[in-house]
Amino acid sequence: MVRVAVVKFPGTNCDEDVVRAFRELELDVEAKVVWYKDFRSAKWDAVVIPGGFSYGDWLRAGAIAARTKVLDEVREGVSRGLPVLGICNGFQVLVEAELLPGALLPNESGMFTCRWVRTVVERPRGPWLSLVPDRSRLDMPVAHAEGRYYVDEVTYSEISLKCPHLRYERGWNPNGSTYDIAGVGSENGSVLGLMPHPERAVGVLTPRGFNPGGELILRSIALSLRKGW
Amino acid sequence: MPLAPEEVGEIREILGREPTPEELAMFEAQWSEHCSYKSSRLLLKLLPTGGSRVLVGPGRDAPAVEVFPGIAVVFKIESHNHPSAVDPYNGAATGIGGIVRDILTLGARPIALLDLLYLGEPSDPHASWIARGVVKGISDYGNRIGVPTVAGDTWFDSSFNRQPLVNVACVGLAKVEDLVGEQPRPGDLIVIVGNSTGRDGLLGSSFASKPLGKDVDRDIGAVQVADPLTEKLLIDSLAELVQRRLARYIKDLGGGGLTTAVSEVAAEFNLGAELDLDKLHLRTELTPLEILVSESQERMMVVVEPGKLSEVERVFEKYDLRYSIVGVFTDNGRIVARFRGRVVADVPSKELARPRAIRRASRPPAEALNGLTPALGLPEVSIPDSILKVLSSPNVSSRRWIYEQYDHEVGARTAVKPGYADAAVLKLDAGDRRGIAVKGDANPRYTYLDPFNGAANSVAECFRNLVSVGATPVAIVDELNAGNPEKPEQFWYFEMMLKGLAWMAGELGLPVVGGKVSFYNEDHLGRQVKPTTTIVGVGVVEEVSNVATMDFKVAGSAVVVVGTTFPELGGSEYLHRVHGLEVGEIPRPRPSSELRNSSLVLELVRRGLALAVHDIGLGGLGVALAEMAVLGGVGVEVDLGRVPCRGCLRVDEVVFSETQARYVVEVKAGDVDEVLELAGRMGVEVSVVGRTLSSGVYRLRSGGAVAELPLEVLRSTYLESLESSFR
Repeated sequence: MVRVAVVKFPGTNCDEDVVRAFRELELDVEAKVVWYKDFRSAKWDAVVIPGGFSYGDWLRAGAIAARTKVLDEVREGVSRGLPVLGICNGFQVLVEAELLPGALLPNESGMFTCRWVRTVVERPRGPWLSLVPDRSRLDMPVAHAEGRYYVDEVTYSEISLKCPHLRYERGWNPNGSTYDIAGVGSENGSVLGLMPHPERAVGVLTPRGFNPGGELILRSIALSLRKGW
Repeated sequence: MPLAPEEVGEIREILGREPTPEELAMFEAQWSEHCSYKSSRLLLKLLPTGGSRVLVGPGRDAPAVEVFPGIAVVFKIESHNHPSAVDPYNGAATGIGGIVRDILTLGARPIALLDLLYLGEPSDPHASWIARGVVKGISDYGNRIGVPTVAGDTWFDSSFNRQPLVNVACVGLAKVEDLVGEQPRPGDLIVIVGNSTGRDGLLGSSFASKPLGKDVDRDIGAVQVADPLTEKLLIDSLAELVQRRLARYIKDLGGGGLTTAVSEVAAEFNLGAELDLDKLHLRTELTPLEILVSESQERMMVVVEPGKLSEVERVFEKYDLRYSIVGVFTDNGRIVARFRGRVVADVPSKELARPRAIRRASRPPAEALNGLTPALGLPEVSIPDSILKVLSSPNVSSRRWIYEQYDHEVGARTAVKPGYADAAVLKLDAGDRRGIAVKGDANPRYTYLDPFNGAANSVAECFRNLVSVGATPVAIVDELNAGNPEKPEQFWYFEMMLKGLAWMAGELGLPVVGGKVSFYNEDHLGRQVKPTTTIVGVGVVEEVSNVATMDFKVAGSAVVVVGTTFPELGGSEYLHRVHGLEVGEIPRPRPSSELRNSSLVLELVRRGLALAVHDIGLGGLGVALAEMAVLGGVGVEVDLGRVPCRGCLRVDEVVFSETQARYVVEVKAGDVDEVLELAGRMGVEVSVVGRTLSSGVYRLRSGGAVAELPLEVLRSTYLESLESSFR
């Protein structure tokens, strides 16, 4: 069975949710929570850095976790093509570690915001989005205080031309992200960062009026790992 | 100071000598109202606490009920009223921390939080400062520890302008076989894990056991400071200890700190303890007295048999948690504390843990007559205007501004989220279709006007909210927020609330498995805040995909009212918001109607006949219909003449009466006959009062048109009123 590591830092709190989402969908994936001190990238087929408040968000969200040895391991894995998904705080960590471009700033409202949003996927590519058709709508909840994505214009045009990314649908941007960006991937899509939570957008957890947008992402990685992408 | 001169005399008698300063501080902490329940204990015996599902009743840090075979829910409520008045952010945050640790003591995994906030008017600058701080404190703490805040209750009233009521509840889940609570034995080690002990929260429980001072800044040292990261590590490490069965017994260091934790366990199991205060990890140099009664947060006591110590140590080291082995339990019944080789305290644990109960005088104040003053000769008012006024009330309108600041999704269990239904529904586990529903309720105006019936109505409201989603209520916990027990006119409210709660819980067959009492909720002028009975209930959901939310689903459905409406405007939101009155006989509790009507609603949900369900509560039928229409984005038309009423003479009585035991149910047109037949068979009064519309309009008729409002207007009024008062 393919193996997915869900890396847990002190203060990570969505680790078990990711594991349970794989179980809920009965995917052929062995997802396991791995304490950050024990993480070695060579043992795993894919890595998820889940949401939460690693190191209590001290300094900046994700800043301390990004400077742990875990990220050296992750970086080494990425160079071999290891699929890495950062969700929420995990996205913040990947940005802080410069594995993905841009920065995640405090929400425009100045407040933590938890709500369901609609996103649209553009240029889907790579293991995490292999089943997702271009321009399809994926609904998921966000829950963060620092999710306002920011990039300079040059980088943005590169992202929009070359990289897989998710945008909040018009009118659904919860944090004031530039260009409504909700998630960004590396050029080949093996590294993906998302502010919305796919693991919370599965089955009966989906409220009326929304689609369970997380299912397609989790199914994608399960299939990709089995078949190659 | 809270220790009365006669109590000091009693301590002298117990010890047979002059107490040391350390001993006096220990007694002061432990004998405080907060820790000892000395004023309430005699009356609390009235509560029904037993039942076939009750695994652990009152007495432990938290109770447990069996919701499904082998699966326990551990839940408890706590108040942090006094700290929140002084430092709203830390006061509320540490309230969350404390209640979560109570749940951990039984070895349960915390899966939900509820916040029940009784705050001052948003227009008052001080009250607004408190409200923002409280919400931010809960948000920052709850979000960081990864426990979703899924439900609650919020109320705004000028009596809470200086002294808010901040009640928080936590719900945990455990396998019955994993519940922690073996008997500690002599020789077992006392391990304190978590934060270093500092000077914060010094004698906090004693501070909470007296009225608020005039200059609250002087009490700031009695408020604890919150550290959610350490709490999260405690949650994770204790889960590991429990799973590997390494802890014999777990207790929170809460009110009264080390003293209370050790003495309560020792007293309960006829043990003594030897404490070596030099061993405890400290943040700063402290005197032995301070070590004994500091209420620094995020600390827990784990009782470990010596053979398992090294395994326990490895778990704490994995999570980088600090811990110290501060002593052992003994068999001699005495708590002996040493500091730098000197015995600083030597007291019998039983006497320390359990002061004599006090019988307090109780007498109704003249103010209580407000609850009997009829509101006669009300002027005629415009019904549409009144609907908008009531709907815009901060007590009625959407709490979105609050619940969106809370991560209500973490844990990936929240199947019915805040704002969609009368209660939240949580899914048990991956692949498991079962769940639980949770909700908390109070109505301070009711309990102020009529504490007995008001408390009974809080229980009934909570019961109905659980039923509305299709959950079978199984147990409740209560928080009684009252005034100064030393004042008979304030103690009367406590006594009456408790009796009303005990009566209604018994009538509805709901065991009160745990709870908390908070006294001294007075402002600096000695005026008590509105006495308030907060109820948090848990219900069982057999299939999480088969629950009811309150939004109208489709146009063309029948709108059905379940239950009879009486002309009960006393104490209503309508009377307050529209007529500026806080008087009158509050709606009568109707337990037999509650039971009968709820069984119909549960059956409708079970059979899939209810497209939407909403209980009729604050604001009456007019508000209930508006909420269902707004949330569904579906119009509605109702003929008030078809609402089952008894004795209603005026239209406003039908629209705004807050009569108990009522629901609105949306039923598919083709299912109406089945619903009516079922209701007839169960002896429940129901009536088809109208239908849902394809146009975006809200229309009430009674012969002619009574009110017609565009849904858009209702929507912005309902969704934005609270938000705009905090912008």
